[in-house]
Amino acid sequence: MTRATSAIRAAVVLLLLVVVLAPLGILIVTSLSRAWFYPAVLPAALDHSAWSDLIFDPAHRAALLNSLVLGATTAVVATTLALPLGRSAALSTRLVRRSVALLAFTAVALPPVALGAGLQLTVLTLGLGGTITGVFLSHLVPALGYLTLVFLGVFTRWDLRLEETAATLGATGVARWRLVLLPLLRRPIVEALALGFLVSWAQVALTLLVGGGAVRTLPLDVLAMLQSGQDQRAAAGALALAIPALVVLGASRVAARQTAAVVA
Amino acid sequence: MSRVLDVRDLGVDFGSTSRSGLRGLNFGVDGSDCLAVLGASGSGKSSLLRTLAGLQVAAGGSVRVKGRDVTALPPEQRSIVYLHQEPVLFPHHTVEDNVAFPQVVRGVSAITAKQRALEWLSRLQVAELHGRKADALSGGQRHRVALARALCAEPEVLLLDEPLASLDPATRRDVREALQAVRHASGAAMVLVTHDLDDALAIATHILTLGGEGQTALATPDELLRHPPSLEVARLLGVYSEIAGVVRVHGSVSVFDWIGGSVQTDGMTSGAAIACVRASEVDVVPGDERNAPVLTVTERRNGAHESVLTVRNAEGASASVRVGSSVVADAGTQVQLVLRHARLHSIR
Repeated sequence: MTRATSAIRAAVVLLLLVVVLAPLGILIVTSLSRAWFYPAVLPAALDHSAWSDLIFDPAHRAALLNSLVLGATTAVVATTLALPLGRSAALSTRLVRRSVALLAFTAVALPPVALGAGLQLTVLTLGLGGTITGVFLSHLVPALGYLTLVFLGVFTRWDLRLEETAATLGATGVARWRLVLLPLLRRPIVEALALGFLVSWAQVALTLLVGGGAVRTLPLDVLAMLQSGQDQRAAAGALALAIPALVVLGASRVAARQTAAVVA
Repeated sequence: MSRVLDVRDLGVDFGSTSRSGLRGLNFGVDGSDCLAVLGASGSGKSSLLRTLAGLQVAAGGSVRVKGRDVTALPPEQRSIVYLHQEPVLFPHHTVEDNVAFPQVVRGVSAITAKQRALEWLSRLQVAELHGRKADALSGGQRHRVALARALCAEPEVLLLDEPLASLDPATRRDVREALQAVRHASGAAMVLVTHDLDDALAIATHILTLGGEGQTALATPDELLRHPPSLEVARLLGVYSEIAGVVRVHGSVSVFDWIGGSVQTDGMTSGAAIACVRASEVDVVPGDERNAPVLTVTERRNGAHESVLTVRNAEGASASVRVGSSVVADAGTQVQLVLRHARLHSIR
């Protein structure tokens, strides 16, 4: 490697760090300062009231709780549905595989507003408009799309001989899942749970359209605070939104280390 | 007493291919016996094993294990263990846990399961590997561990799908020895799929050949080599020269004439025939010592154990004959070939 190549590589890494970390740094400082205006390099005084509000204000706490419940439920339900769906599609004929992939991709690729409009009508018909159940169902659609694609990929490369071997060695269907499939699928399952959570956690359009403002979530609160000029609280909320993504990244890496390399 | 594995009129489909499959298979295997299934590529050998194991549905007929009809049972209830060509070990388990797996799924306590696993690992001479992960094993070690695991399941029937294919010579020898030991030690009925006659001869007590849409022969290795029932089976065994000639019947005596002379036979009708002759049944005589046509060697192709001589007579007719590799007869030399034994198959 030449000196010029090394320099270019270092510059690119530095640029990436600045692009990723600078907004994060500004958010952290903003969330801890009551007033921080140009041309001051640093805020005059630190203040943690925005974080206290986020945790202790009942309205914010309810929004945070809604987001957590929606994210966790969406993650678990979407993973539970997508795993067998992706598996059966991957092990089926090419036509079925492609049809399922196309449907899953449609749920992912449709603009949230277009998807939300369609889902809003469906949810209203079911009498679930403005309810957390309706919002959950709307979050489930894109999450299921993403996760079906994930598991379709996993099971397309899956070695069926592992299950055949386990079966002829005497393992029942339940034992095969418990002792072979689930341990080997730990990494993709953890990643799917994380992805399902994040899809719901970051939803704005679907929550707004289907929830009709009656279901408050953290992203909606952050949006509202930004629109009303509450920069400090918006920054704290935005950072709170970023925390799960970082946790998920860490959890995925741990799961990756613990998982056998059969399903890469 | 019923045989350990008893297959009656079994039909086997060829999976995703459009061909219909095998029909009317009938064979049985006793405990500690090994049936080698020989067949060309695509003849349905692996499909047969998968059907016996319950990994694919039988297209008719029945499979019985010690008298119990298992045809409709799932794989886990058949007491038939199937070993893939490449040993499939669970990558998230150690060698010991892999081998203990069949005991664990049976509900045996972890301590007992591990004890039995260690016993089988010891019998297969790989006990020292017990703590290793599967991906840290060599090819031969993987085979031995997979065999130990299969035997730890205490199966009535052990199915081996080309276990010696694609192995280097040293590993092949190692695995072959392990299989021979397993046959005697386990008491299970074994079915071994192979396309290699040497493997079949080394391990099997009986040989089943597949061709067309069914079985073409079922015999002991000796019987099959002495009297292959058809030219198709002889070709499958791959150890014979095919020498074209004519059978002439003179009263009660029939004689097979070929470019190298005549061989007395019996039980044949007049007409064109192919003689199947093993290399060890051909005497090569230099010059013109015998009362037989003199042939000119036009080509010699050497193999590890035998050579193939292409010979031509004075009229220009030629034949290819397998001979021992120690035979001295290079291209250009004149020889006489004496067939001490020939299995004749009429050409219709």
